[in-house]
Amino acid sequence: MCRSNELCPLTFLFGGSASGKSAAAEELAGAGPGPRFYIATMEPYGEDGRRRIARHRQMRADKGFETIERYTDLENLILPAKGTALLECLGNLAANEMFSPAGAGPEGALGAILRGVEQLRRQCARLIVVGNDVFSDGVEQYESSTRQWIAVMAQAHRQLARQADRVCETVCGIPLWQKGAAE
Amino acid sequence: MLILIIGGFAAGKRDYARTLGYQDEDFTQEIEDEKPVLWGLQELVYQDPESAMEMLPRLLKKQAVICDEVGCGVTPVDPRQRLAREQTGRLCAALAARAQKVVRVCCGIPTVIKE
Repeated sequence: MCRSNELCPLTFLFGGSASGKSAAAEELAGAGPGPRFYIATMEPYGEDGRRRIARHRQMRADKGFETIERYTDLENLILPAKGTALLECLGNLAANEMFSPAGAGPEGALGAILRGVEQLRRQCARLIVVGNDVFSDGVEQYESSTRQWIAVMAQAHRQLARQADRVCETVCGIPLWQKGAAE
Repeated sequence: MLILIIGGFAAGKRDYARTLGYQDEDFTQEIEDEKPVLWGLQELVYQDPESAMEMLPRLLKKQAVICDEVGCGVTPVDPRQRLAREQTGRLCAALAARAQKVVRVCCGIPTVIKE
């Protein structure tokens, strides 16, 4: 698949835990042109992780998504065809880039994420990126690596929201459009 | 259930409910009693996260339900804390889907997000 010079429309969606992000993102992606790719950034870890992944897979099962597991280095990911891609989620991607051996490291993570999103936009007709609202329980109680991760997340959220055509927050399963409008 | 009121800790959710005409004696933390406004739903979820969703039919009999938003922070390491946080979110989403009105209170300012 060739990369285009043009950046496709970007929708950035974020919310707290269990706020309905995945369901809303999948609905948005389902309305985009096919084929549809789900780029999963979560490395399965422990029983809880496997259960969450199984739940998300089930939610996607009937929506025609091809799942691509990619934990780091989105920049060099080649999608099989031009369609709609859903990248979920930024929290795991940032943690992987910062802390996993294959990642770009704490200093390089933000750049790797932003370049990765840009390269995806050159290969898609439409891209939806899912972020995580991790910013409202303070940082004082956390150790420095967690604080650093929150800071990278905050920068990534701000930059992607600026670049995005549309920004949506989910609250109790309700989509609140913070930029652009619902289609 | 008519109204779901959500927001961060001490954001002014009960004060908002009072503007709807509810008095102090209308507020309760008992799910089974006849009082119309249940507040602090998150505390009930944290007491028994596994069976939190089973509260749904009884919550729908209340006129208003008030719950802290607890999902906008770092995912806890402790599995039970993590589950309680998830269940609070899922229960609120289920209530919001069935509520006539959902109000989010932030710094004392109510915003109607569903009506």
